[in-house]
Parts: sequence; structure tokens; C-alpha cells
Amino acid sequence: MFGRVLAKSLARRRSRVALAVLAVVMGASMASALLTTSYSMNEKLASEFRQFGANIMVLPRSETIDVGLPGMSLGSVTEQRYINESQLWNIKRIQNWSANVLGYAPFLYQVVSSRAGGSDRQLVLTGTYFDHAVPQVPMGDGGDWTTGLRTIAMYWEVSGGWVERDDDLTGAMVGTDVARKLGLLVGSPFEVNYTDPETKEVRSADLQVRGIVTTGGGEDSQIFVNLDVAQNLTARPDKVHTVQVSALCYQCPAEVIAREIQHVMPDVEAKTVRQLVNAETMIMMRLENMMGLVTAIALGASALGVMTTMTTSVIERRREIGLMKAIGSTNGSIGSLFTAEAAIIGVLGGVAGYIVGYFLAGLVGQSVFGSAVTLVPVVIPLTLGISVAVALLAAVIPVRRALRIEPAAVLRGD
Amino acid sequence: MGDMIRVEGVVKDYDARTRALDGVSLTIREGEWTAIMGPSGSGKTTLLNIMSCLDSPTEGRVVLAGTIVTGLAEKELTRFRCQNIGLIFQMYHLVPYLTALENVMLAQYYSGTVDEAQARRVLDEVGLGHRTGHVPAHLSGGEQQRVCIARALINAPRIIMADEPTGNLDAANGRRVLELIRKLKEDGHTVVMVTHSQNVAALADRVIELVDGKVVSDAASPGRTGAPAAAGAVSIS
Repeated sequence: MFGRVLAKSLARRRSRVALAVLAVVMGASMASALLTTSYSMNEKLASEFRQFGANIMVLPRSETIDVGLPGMSLGSVTEQRYINESQLWNIKRIQNWSANVLGYAPFLYQVVSSRAGGSDRQLVLTGTYFDHAVPQVPMGDGGDWTTGLRTIAMYWEVSGGWVERDDDLTGAMVGTDVARKLGLLVGSPFEVNYTDPETKEVRSADLQVRGIVTTGGGEDSQIFVNLDVAQNLTARPDKVHTVQVSALCYQCPAEVIAREIQHVMPDVEAKTVRQLVNAETMIMMRLENMMGLVTAIALGASALGVMTTMTTSVIERRREIGLMKAIGSTNGSIGSLFTAEAAIIGVLGGVAGYIVGYFLAGLVGQSVFGSAVTLVPVVIPLTLGISVAVALLAAVIPVRRALRIEPAAVLRGD
Repeated sequence: MGDMIRVEGVVKDYDARTRALDGVSLTIREGEWTAIMGPSGSGKTTLLNIMSCLDSPTEGRVVLAGTIVTGLAEKELTRFRCQNIGLIFQMYHLVPYLTALENVMLAQYYSGTVDEAQARRVLDEVGLGHRTGHVPAHLSGGEQQRVCIARALINAPRIIMADEPTGNLDAANGRRVLELIRKLKEDGHTVVMVTHSQNVAALADRVIELVDGKVVSDAASPGRTGAPAAAGAVSIS
């Protein structure tokens, strides 16, 4: 009987119920759109932030030795240490957050000279990976996971092209300052010389410019070659100075990934690039706060709409409520009837609001990120829960008003 | 027959300047049909509402079927009313979106047991067996009042409280409703009926007259002191 009364009462006041549902749809669609955008955006923002470079720096663990005589300190020296290239694949095999490691690139630096305009110029030659396959990390498609500068340094402006293969032992990418100093263009051949500090032996490498790099940073005055080239030239096989790691930090802090890297590579120190990580976190927090505020305002407006509609409904149905009380209904039954109506309005508004919000989020995704948002299943129960909660909250005052109705007064026409 | 309704020194003030009932005392025996009369504003409906547990007195007490209802909590009053009192209203007060059958079943639902067959039987008894699926808007005034009577009877109450039951009906429908009320009395129900009409009051066993919230007369109805009048023979216009 309760269901019959509820269904017929709602059906009879279709237009008023539709108004209340519309009010909930307004708030629910905002909540759904913002939640969907927020979830997708966090992921997209994290990916986009990653285009600005690495956020974890891996260094060899160094030991500082104090030098001096008893009672007289002459300062300290730090032993030059390296990271073994053969261990680097472990970075992609950390325990919990390996999927968030988007890529890494090792760096081996040395000062070399190159002749230009009749004089020798001192330059920094950097050995690294451009697009390096890691056989220890097989992918589902049968190939190997690849990493290198092309993954972690997407912000580089390159004229010409990249060094395409690991076995390209003559290809080089030069910074824009280097190109200017040496008068190099894409395709220009040039030679670099390295003098071994211990044996004084001079070793040379013939290179050719594959691309010219502009970053506005230190990269502009470096020459980038495959790691093998740099290791052979300097006779430091399997050695690298540092590794830069690009980690997706949407669901976990970069510090956790850094700790996991240290766990799998005990001889290194992994440090987050704190400034970048903090900036990312700050931007995400501000965006989420702003979205929360807009959603709260929209939900407040929804609650007001539902409350107004239900209050009007209670006023219109005073006689019916009075009659129900006169023939035996308790306050609990009257309260249940109106609460159930509010819950149904909340569910209907929540379902419609979710659908509208999803398409709204799609529009935001297209216009802001240039790609469609993903369907986030958790947003469905969240939107429904929020809608029902708002409708129930909005029903509190009308229900209390209904409970205060005195049957004798309304039945005699007061 | 014992006392079914006892009203003792009941006063009802709506505010400091409006006293609707001023020390009303009366006793109604079980199975008695009592008409309450009086001019507008005399306190008839207020007295009926207090005896129906729809309102509470400012002073005094009301005893119904041996239970002191004055001072009962709202929930207990509701339960008592649901089980012991059937209400008939001048304006019928049916739920507009429910059918005749559902309006009757609603009273069953609040009493705790829904029995559709029983509801159909009672509607049949009031001559509406063929109109059970109609909503109030599709029923005549007389038919709506008979649905209201069926709803009043569905929980087998011992007391029927009727507020101007024929006040909104034409003569033919009024006679039909009064005939039903007479049957209720014959079945042993205690009936209290507020009316403006001398002719309707003449059908009751007893007539109580109120003026300015006080009982000014309490006597056997003219219909009982003289020749008994059949409901069908009374003009109520």
C-alpha cells in the first residue's frame, strides 16, 4: 500500500516532481562533470606535467672523506662514483609503483674538445639513451619496453631529428649554443676529442648532427650521443653519472617511488625534484578546491530547489496529510512517505545528472585537454549518493512542516 | 448498555480570547445515536474533534470505551482512534489520487492489516461494489460520502463520529447516507453526529444542543418522543 500511495502521489504531481528532479539534475550534473573531469584531469595533468621533464634524480651514493692532519683539517674530498648501467632496468621493476615509472635516461658527462674556426673549443659531451629498448622489461605485445630522452624530455624543441637507434654510433644531437659556436647545421659532420686524464691518451669520435636542441637550459650547450659512444670514448664501460626518472605522480607521491628505487638499487640515492613536485601538487590542489567550491554552490542551489518544491507540495497537500493522520497514520508514516519521495527524486536526478555530467565533462576534456575523458565508474555511486543526500537534506524542513500539521485544524478548513 | 463516551468538564480555548467549549459534560451510552446541534460557532465540531481524539481539551477529561484518552501521547491517541473510532466528514476528505478501493484500504494499512477482499465487501455494503476502481473526481458527492463511510467502517470501530454527514448532499443522497448510519446504529455502533438540520437530528436517539460552548439542552430526539421516523421518510433539505 505504501508503494501504491507513493507511486500515485508522484505520478499525480508529475510536473512538480519533474521540477524537483531538474533541480537535482542541475547539481548532480555539475558534481558528476567535475568529479569525472577531476579524476581524468589529475591523470592528464600528471601526464602533461611529465612532459616538462623528469621529477626524480638518481645519483650514486657518495662518500665524503675528511682530509687533514691531527688537529688540522684540510677539508674533504668526495670520491667520484658511478651507477652501473647494467642495473638501471631495476628502476622499471620497483615493487609497487612500476607502472608509474614512465621512463628514465642515464647521463654520462665528460669534457671534450672540438676544433672550430682554427681553435679548440671545450664542450660537454653527454652519453645517454634516446630510445633504448630494455630487454629485462618485456611488454605484453612481445616487444621490449623502451625508454630514453624521447620519453622523458618531450619538452625539447628539436630541429632536424632525433638519434633514432642505439647502434647509431656517429649520430649526435647538439645544443643550439654548441651549433652556433661550432657553426654546425643538421647533417654537419664534426669531430670531438677526449684526453684521458690518467694516460693522456687522446681518443676521437667522428660525429654527425642529427638534430639541434633548444631547451633554454643547460642542454643548449651540450652534445648528446648514444651512451655507448661516450663510454667507449672515455673508457668507462657500464658507467653513468646520473639517471633522470619521469614518474607519473597522480596516485602516489614521488617520494614513495624514489624510496622504492633506492630499495632495488642500494648503491644509489634517489631524490625528487621537489620544486616541480610541489608545484604539481599545488596546482592540482587549487584546481580541486575550485571545483569543490563550484560543485558545493551548484548542490546548494539544487537543495534550495528541491526544498522549495517539496515545501509547496506539503502546503498543497495539507488536507491530505491531515486526513492521513486522522485515519491513523503516525508521524513516522508521513515522514517515510515524504522521505521516500525525496529519495526517489534524488535517485532520478542523480541518474540523469550523471549522464548530463558525463557529456559535460567530455566537452571540458575536449576543450581543455583536447581529448575525451574516460568513464570513471566510481563517479556513478558518488553522484547518486550526493544527489540522494542533497534531496534528503532538502526534505528535512518540508517533512518537519508536514509532521506539524494538525488534522483537526486542516480538516475543519483552517 | 454501559457508557461509551464520557466528557467531564471539558474546556477548549483556542487563544486567550476564544473559548470554544466552556465546561461541557455529557455521557453517551453504548449503541446510542446522538445528534449534536447548535448555531455556527457554538463548539459542535470542536466537541466532536475532542471526542474523536483529533484535538485535546484545555481542561477536563474524556473517557472513551473505558479509556481515559485525555493526556495520552500522540502516538497512543492515533492508535486508539485507528482501532475504535470511524470518522465521517462533511467534505468526505478522500485522497484524490487513490481509487475508492484504495481509499478504504488506506485506513486498513494504517491499522496494520490490508485485506482487499474485506475492503471490497464493505464498499459493496454501502452500494459501491461497482465503483471501486474510480478516483473521487469520477464519483458523485453521495458516492464519495459512501466511500468515506466505508473507510470509517473498515476497521470495525465501536464509535462513529460524523460531522455534518449530509451537509453537502442533495436530498436523495442524504437519505441514503442517513439510512446507512441508521444501519450502523442497529448493528450496535455508537454514533455521534453533528448536524444543523432538525430533520436529520430527529432520526437520532438523543439531541444535545450547544450554544456558546455550553450544553443548553440534552433530551431524547423529537423523533423518539413521538412516532419513530424512518430515515427514508425524513426531509433533510
